[in-house]
Amino acid sequence: MKNSIVILLLILLSALLIFSFDFIPEQEIVVDSTAEHIITKGLQETGSLNLVTAILYDYRAFDSMGESTVIFATVSAIVLLLSFKTLPVSSQGLSFIVKNTFGFLAPFIFLFGLYVITHGHLSPGGGFQGGVILGTISIILSIVYGSAYDYRKYPPKTKTLLETGGALLFLFIGGLGLVLKGHFLANVNPLINEPGRLISAGVIPYINIGIGFKIGAGLAIIFYSMIQKTYVEEELKS
Amino acid sequence: MIYNLVFLLLFMLGFYTILVKKNLIKLVIGLNIMEAATFFWVMALNYREGVIPILKTGSKAAAVVNPLPQALILTGIVIGASTTAFLLTLIIEINKYANVIDLDILKGLRD
Amino acid sequence: MIFLEYLLIALMVFAALLAVIFEEELISIICLSIFSFALTALYLLYKAPDVALTEAVIGSGLNTAIFMAAISQVRSGRKNHVSREDE
Repeated sequence: MKNSIVILLLILLSALLIFSFDFIPEQEIVVDSTAEHIITKGLQETGSLNLVTAILYDYRAFDSMGESTVIFATVSAIVLLLSFKTLPVSSQGLSFIVKNTFGFLAPFIFLFGLYVITHGHLSPGGGFQGGVILGTISIILSIVYGSAYDYRKYPPKTKTLLETGGALLFLFIGGLGLVLKGHFLANVNPLINEPGRLISAGVIPYINIGIGFKIGAGLAIIFYSMIQKTYVEEELKS
Repeated sequence: MIYNLVFLLLFMLGFYTILVKKNLIKLVIGLNIMEAATFFWVMALNYREGVIPILKTGSKAAAVVNPLPQALILTGIVIGASTTAFLLTLIIEINKYANVIDLDILKGLRD
Repeated sequence: MIFLEYLLIALMVFAALLAVIFEEELISIICLSIFSFALTALYLLYKAPDVALTEAVIGSGLNTAIFMAAISQVRSGRKNHVSREDE
């Protein structure tokens, strides 16, 4: 009885969707549309070779700020729900082969994360992706070496400091645009305005650095709060 | 059109999971599948013949793929990850007080 | 290109089906990771390297990690519950 109702609902929804497929517009870029403007004038206006980065951190930078606010709210809610006070006590981790291999690989992962963050306007990548790569180091560290090592190496206070610092850097750059150019998050006068250089594209690399540290530290805090209780209980049992 | 059919199949699969399964973690998996299906559909419809939206230095704007939907989907993926993390945290909290994550037992329909 | 695309779409649908069919949560999450991998390759084919990098890092990496953390929490709680009932 219940299954037949579910299947009927699915068929109805499918029929509705199939009917609405006819109304999908063609994806050809229309003249004088927003996409046309970004493709033809984006490089001159922002100085960023990567057009996706130009949209995310220049044309729609305010939207990116809202996105990092969502991450901040998630981190706050998770830390509130899973109390932050219990100390992690797992110290054994995995075998020494895994430990040595990760110890050899960790600097390269860190370097790759920094590369993805700082070259966001030249190659694929940017603040969000590089930030998650940086946060992954902390996650693997707490799996491989045990969460006590991660707690000693990168205590929650450092992560909170990094997250708040990234958000404040973003806000500071936005205020800079407000002071120098008259509107919030404006792309203020770059030092060297030659596309293709590492220091170019105005404030986009600095926004990338702020967002990168904010996202990485936030995701590390989320994972840290989610695993800690397990290890406490296991330690008490043994 | 194959993209529409794949989108329909994956979306209905996720919806079916949310409606039928009793395990709370499976519900989050179904939500993830629905989300990914929508993103895949938008990216597949956006594709046309052209180069990736990263211009070369000094060259004029060629026929590049439309970068606007890509930025939208990028935002959506990050928001989806934070939603997943929050839902899993709620499941951990429910499990701490009720010691089960089965919907029927939680609603009192079954022991 | 077309053959590769259809192959990846088939892999994606198959992985999603397996993720829904299996009752064991751990296998479901591994299948979700494979689903994410196929999606990453498809995004690369659709000329969207930024989205592909995001999907690879978040879908295959971070989502799997937080799902595993949640499952380990739930299982350890369940084990305690059973032992308490035995006493």
